[in-house]
Amino acid sequence: MGAGDQYWNPKTETLGRDELAVLQLAKLRRLCDWAAARSPFYQRSFREAGFAPEQLKTLDDLRRLPLLTRDQWMASQGEAPPFGLLPVAGREAAIRWHTTSGTTGREPIRVLDTTKDWAWQAEMWCYGLWGFGVRPADTAYVAFGYGSFIGFWGLHYGMEKMGVLNVPGGAQTTEGRVKQLLDFGATVVASTPTYALRLAQEAERLGVDLAASPVRRLILSGEPAGSIPQTKALIERLWGAKAGDTAGMTEIGTIMVFECTHQPGGTHIIEDHYLEEVLDPAGDQPVGYGEAGERVVTSFGRGIIPLLRYRTADLVAKVPASRCTCGRGFDLYEGGILGRVDDMKLVRGTNVYPRAVEGIVREHPGIEEFQLRLTREGHFDRIALRVEPAADTSDEAWADMAERLAKALAEAHEGLRFEVERAGPGELPRFELKARRTVDQRDTPIGG
Amino acid sequence: MPTTTDLLGRPTTPLEDELLDLYRRCKALLEGDDLAPCVRAGVRAATVGLWNVVNDLGLEHEQLIDLGA
Repeated sequence: MGAGDQYWNPKTETLGRDELAVLQLAKLRRLCDWAAARSPFYQRSFREAGFAPEQLKTLDDLRRLPLLTRDQWMASQGEAPPFGLLPVAGREAAIRWHTTSGTTGREPIRVLDTTKDWAWQAEMWCYGLWGFGVRPADTAYVAFGYGSFIGFWGLHYGMEKMGVLNVPGGAQTTEGRVKQLLDFGATVVASTPTYALRLAQEAERLGVDLAASPVRRLILSGEPAGSIPQTKALIERLWGAKAGDTAGMTEIGTIMVFECTHQPGGTHIIEDHYLEEVLDPAGDQPVGYGEAGERVVTSFGRGIIPLLRYRTADLVAKVPASRCTCGRGFDLYEGGILGRVDDMKLVRGTNVYPRAVEGIVREHPGIEEFQLRLTREGHFDRIALRVEPAADTSDEAWADMAERLAKALAEAHEGLRFEVERAGPGELPRFELKARRTVDQRDTPIGG
Repeated sequence: MPTTTDLLGRPTTPLEDELLDLYRRCKALLEGDDLAPCVRAGVRAATVGLWNVVNDLGLEHEQLIDLGA
């Protein structure tokens, strides 16, 4: 791959920071003009905040704009069902209607897309796919159910746009998918990190050595695990392929970050199409490079639902573009999406982050699935790691694994005792989309 | 011939000028109200494709909802 061949859009991916800021400001002004002219939500919120688009003289003026929260979006949907007051037009202007995945149990956000917006979403995937080395000669297998959750829809159209031979996995069994991706000679597979592991487990059960298959790249999305080093290493080993992390969200319709072929330990932000801020989760002040905070996104893409300063609740730590040697001018999120700002659990005075627990669990390749369960007995919080090892794991091997897990978990959590329990084969839930492995059954979680 | 600039304030290249011209001609076609369905759909697809090009290259940034896209 030549140096000039590594970018989807060489002109803007290699801009210097000052030039990038000029481009972002120009797009921001136009987006704010558009929102002020057409979106009932922004007309009201701008008025209440005393903001007018003419006030945007520099990018620092971005902070004059009010922040948007998911709660405000949901309230707006309630006020003007089904789409709320953010959209600039109704369903008659759209060609797609999607919703959030609903994995949190909350009412989903409903989004619309026009023809242009939908094409732009595929375009964002092209930045990421090309950046991770996918090329028109590839054959891609998309292990995705193609439902109302937006998920990998944009990837599908991005692959087509690039000229990649694209195989939609659709709704079928995991066994069927393993057989199909082999039959079609897939060189690229797209799935969640959890499902990439599940496919590998199924392949092993079928006696298939995926590492000997033509698959050379995995495109991961939907969960932070794509950037958890231990999980990524396990996936890469089981598949004998490179795994590239991406992250997106229904609220913008597509991805906003991707990992390049240099794999610098983070994901580049597509900064010619987004303005990404990192704020103190407890307030609205920006944090510096390297500090963890809440990701706040302004998207220049979707026109029917302008998105300005949306608090995503994603926990990230931004680092400068110079951290990567690929030549892009785009800053990165070190370690990808680190989790959610409300992920952290407080157990007997100790902070527990599900991401850290997963990192420890994934050092044991013999574990098929796991679950973190928090309960309360009287005033005493219990935390248990329920583990489903491979079915042929002997009692002796399990005892050794459990001991090592308990020791590593305690050492990583100020001596907090985790009860490590063995679950039976198939007992724990499996996930195709976003995995939910933390079950907090405390009535009134303390800081949870 | 007037010099055009991109959103960065840089002079556009001959290729960029050509792309902008194509994009604007597609938009102008789409404004017509007497297009057969097959023509409108095809021109809309072409306009959207070119919108991504001029947007990626920082030549133009606008919305197309009023043109049905």
